[in-house]
Amino acid sequence: MNRQVAAGLQIFFIGRVVALAVLVAAAHLRAQEPIPQPRTSGGCPVESRAFYECAMAQAKTFKVPRTAEGRPDFQGFWRSRNNGIAYDVEPGPGSFSVPPTAGEIIDPADKKIPYQPWAVAKRNELRTKGFEDPQGHCAPSGAPRKNNTLFGWRIIQPKGYVTFLYESMHDYRIIPTDGRKHLPASIKTWHGDPVGHWEGDTLVVDYTNLNGKHWFDMSGNFQSENIHVVERYTMFTPDTILFVATIEDSTLYTRPWTLAFSLERNKEPGYYQLEYACHEGERDLQHFTDDTRQVGR
Amino acid sequence: MKSAGRRLRPPLLSAAAFAAALLAAQVSADQAAPQTPARPAAPARTATPARYAPPRLANGKPDLQGIWQVRNTANWNLQAHGGSYKTPAGLGVVVDPPDGSIPYRPEALVIKQKNWTGREAEDPLEKCYLAGVPRTMYLPYPLQILQTETEVAILSEYVHTWRWIPLTPLDRYPGYESWMGDPRGRWDGDTLVVETVGHNDQTWFDHAGNFHSDALTVIERLTRTAADVITYEATMTDPKVFTRPWTIRMPLYLHRDMDRILENECYIYAEEAGKPIRGQHPNE
Repeated sequence: MNRQVAAGLQIFFIGRVVALAVLVAAAHLRAQEPIPQPRTSGGCPVESRAFYECAMAQAKTFKVPRTAEGRPDFQGFWRSRNNGIAYDVEPGPGSFSVPPTAGEIIDPADKKIPYQPWAVAKRNELRTKGFEDPQGHCAPSGAPRKNNTLFGWRIIQPKGYVTFLYESMHDYRIIPTDGRKHLPASIKTWHGDPVGHWEGDTLVVDYTNLNGKHWFDMSGNFQSENIHVVERYTMFTPDTILFVATIEDSTLYTRPWTLAFSLERNKEPGYYQLEYACHEGERDLQHFTDDTRQVGR
Repeated sequence: MKSAGRRLRPPLLSAAAFAAALLAAQVSADQAAPQTPARPAAPARTATPARYAPPRLANGKPDLQGIWQVRNTANWNLQAHGGSYKTPAGLGVVVDPPDGSIPYRPEALVIKQKNWTGREAEDPLEKCYLAGVPRTMYLPYPLQILQTETEVAILSEYVHTWRWIPLTPLDRYPGYESWMGDPRGRWDGDTLVVETVGHNDQTWFDHAGNFHSDALTVIERLTRTAADVITYEATMTDPKVFTRPWTIRMPLYLHRDMDRILENECYIYAEEAGKPIRGQHPNE
């Protein structure tokens, strides 16, 4: 990315907390811009369920490139199909700063998060307080949202690890692939504890120890510290990975649910991973005051 | 950001040769900071530690992978200093100039003194900002080194930041300016040499206010000198601030008690504690 783009996006994200009318108006205008939506990814339709079925079918016959260790070689630059803005994991008509979305959920079939009744009410309340989205405060994005952040990431595969180096907030995931034990449950983190293993040619990453403060998107869909996320990465063309995340939390949801989207190799000519210093460049959160918190009440 | 990024290409003199040439003429920099007592007779520091055969990758290059951390007080003050409130004492890590002082230009020393006075508020780490290079390497937080044959990644617990160091040729991005700099690596025998440019002028070397400009070049040398030790060295060149290059050296120790690093989300912790750190809007 370049710095001007980064600055603009920063204002875009944080803009939702800003009391200054002019900035709110700017953010609102940006939200109305159409998001480019290619109809296919890796030769598959992008509608989440159809994409999942198609990519799984293609993966059965795809000859995956391999590292010296004999594992699928995911190394290089990747980004999610949207180039990383998680507006709403559910399908929706759009709202302030969120454009209409097709949703990412493949299970349940209605593409809705199977919230318990009290939890859906809380989500609806959070949805009116977009300025409290932790990512808008430069907090780490957690799992699975980190794979839906701007500018994508570099994957490197040192022996025994798959490691993601994200441009967004210079964040990283160090994923050991030895299936080691998780951290003690008493340790709660913004990043979670990713432990990976290979199932055939699929990288499976098991996430626990998340602190439950994350949102899945900009629409108030939320987590608790009991969340358990299993991510699965399956390459099905040289330039496309099927990303699937299954989310379990019996304190919030009536059943596990699953989302899926495409990760595409970033082949943009001249792309150079720059530094996205979110907190250091932050110039809007001083407007996030007790008064701001009254908005929407 | 105050100024456009600047790429500085210093002459590729070895630091030692440069130092030798300047030694005779060197004017001892004034180290008037009250925390800097006259340097005591420091323990001998050997530039070439005893030969050790490190583990190696398949391509024969030394394997530096593991979780590492310093065991010193460089983060508080690179120079020798006695203990004070919230600051542990330390013998200093500046090995060149030999007297252990940082060779400031006179006008820069004035800024250093101002930084020292205001350090409790103005140290970038007090605002949870990125620590920059080399300070990230000697923070009181562990870091993990991961490696392939073509790259080295250094991942710090402190505000979840990484350094990605290519060992293969890669054109510099024009005008790159950042908190963590733009590094390039190569092997010099069994030593990983990392040259980093593209720094902004916002980071400090330590809590004592030692600072640099955007003309800074840092050349780091990492050598696995024992099973549990990487000897870490960094040479700073910045003609806007220093009269000559200067060098720090210290051991990084292997954590045998950790199989993964955790996290330190400094600015989020501050917000959660009701002490949010807010940037200043340029128009306010």
